[in-house]
Amino acid sequence: MVLVETAGLTKVFGDVRAVDDLTVQIPDGAIGLVGPNGAGKTTFLRLLLSLLQPTAGTAKVLGRDIGDGVPVRERIGYMPEHDCLVPDMTGVGLVSYMGRISGLDRDTAMSRSHDVLQFVGVEEERYRKIAEYSTGMKQKIKLAQSMVHDPQLYIFDEPTTGLDPRGRTEMLDLVRTIAKSPGRNVLLSSHLLPDVETICKYVVILDGGHQIAAGELSQLLTGATDRLRIDVRGDQAAFARLLKEAGFEADAGPTGLHVTRKPGLESAVFDTAKALGAEVRYMGKEIRSLEELFLELVARTEKRGA
Amino acid sequence: MSISLPTYSRLELPLLGRRERVRAIIATGLRREFRRPAAIVVTVLGAAFTTITSIVLLIFAQILIPGQAADLTFFALPASNGFVLFFVSLMAAVIGAGLIADDMQSMAFTLYMSRPITQTDYLLAKAAILAPLVAMVTILPLLLTALVAALLSRVSWAIAVEAMGISLVIGGLLTLFYTAVTLFLSSLTRRKGIAAAGVFAVNFGLTVPAGILATRIGNPAILYLSPWDDYVAVASAAFGATPSAIDWLAALAVLLGVTVLAAFVTYIRMRAVEVITG
Repeated sequence: MVLVETAGLTKVFGDVRAVDDLTVQIPDGAIGLVGPNGAGKTTFLRLLLSLLQPTAGTAKVLGRDIGDGVPVRERIGYMPEHDCLVPDMTGVGLVSYMGRISGLDRDTAMSRSHDVLQFVGVEEERYRKIAEYSTGMKQKIKLAQSMVHDPQLYIFDEPTTGLDPRGRTEMLDLVRTIAKSPGRNVLLSSHLLPDVETICKYVVILDGGHQIAAGELSQLLTGATDRLRIDVRGDQAAFARLLKEAGFEADAGPTGLHVTRKPGLESAVFDTAKALGAEVRYMGKEIRSLEELFLELVARTEKRGA
Repeated sequence: MSISLPTYSRLELPLLGRRERVRAIIATGLRREFRRPAAIVVTVLGAAFTTITSIVLLIFAQILIPGQAADLTFFALPASNGFVLFFVSLMAAVIGAGLIADDMQSMAFTLYMSRPITQTDYLLAKAAILAPLVAMVTILPLLLTALVAALLSRVSWAIAVEAMGISLVIGGLLTLFYTAVTLFLSSLTRRKGIAAAGVFAVNFGLTVPAGILATRIGNPAILYLSPWDDYVAVASAAFGATPSAIDWLAALAVLLGVTVLAAFVTYIRMRAVEVITG
């Protein structure tokens, strides 16, 4: 099933193209939406919710055009990044209220709100006013209100913002649990790449409103081409230069040498090490972290732009 | 803190329709207002003062206003009771000014709009929260006065019932006017204090100067600028009392025009609101 499908989706604010001609097909499951601050992640999510009207292009969520509005939002639970809770309501009052606005009857909304508050770990505090809550508690209430009507798609916008390490771990555990539940899909937007890496199987990487990569996380991290990463103790730049002279594609980066595999590479590497008096400390299949991949893609995009 | 999972299960219930969702906003909104001491005080004092002064006028009408007949025309007096103007302004400021502005300020508007409702649903629900509370000052005292007049045999039941019918219409007109204008002002700002000041500006900032200017330069047409004078002109005509200085039909057109315009502009504005910040 396709979770989100866009064609030429564009949103312009004045001179800024927050989302620029975005065409993407996002499969179901746990999806990560990553990019630096200002990449257009939040704008993209708000377009999917019809909180913003697109300047151009179309988008479908769970098979429905976003222009349909109400039927689309019935199936979405949204956890915004910013503080948006009603301060003079209690936790349980707000979650139940949001359940009722989503179409639950009073009794179901109340019983569901207790369920989800228990799930997120807000126990007796649920009867206190939200104004008295800590940041961590507010994040949990925001998560709970997105779950109360049991939507098919959860959209979490920077769910770990402002949380301490323990709160962050708890929040990620909750998001992971939801993502693993059958019939539920998660679209997790974050600029904290390890958060996405631990939860999502598929990622869409945005920068400057453009999609710069999308695909299965495992494939993106190993790369389409068969590459080796080599850690060298010694002059890395010279090592890369000699490998290039020997006919290999080699790049020296902050995480070591990245070389495209070709017959004779291994012996060429050791010959080069011997010639330079360098020490090869590691040589193995290149598996990047999402952060490395992201930095590489952004650098490549910047080069193209320049 | 351990994370407890056992009770989070799949929900298989169908969702209720939009009417029920709007009703939920109205019910919760009213409940929240009745928990706010300021809203309770203003509503209770407003309903009590306007009702009591109207009944006092009824009981002592022949002493206070010599020559006042005990007929339908009498009800123009409680309808133009100055306490109505004061308390309706206070209620609109205390209760209505924050209805949209507070949601914009706390950014709860994002939460509302991420739910399966439209901007129109949201706006209608907010109007339905404010209107019944304003009606406690604009309609209820007139209905009670007519009832008490009939019970005390000051007027016949036929006249009392007719007065109640007219009260519903003119009180409803005033309620709609203040609801529309207050929500319009509330939608313009994130700070309810500014919206509240706007309500007072519309009422007293127009009523008092219009009255003074109309007398000074001897041109009653300036009174059309004052919503209260427009309302009094319509109420006087509706109860068959001595006509006021301005034409009631034109005054009615002004009130209705401003109400419709304020509602329309608020609607357009809310539809155009894009949740960008945050």
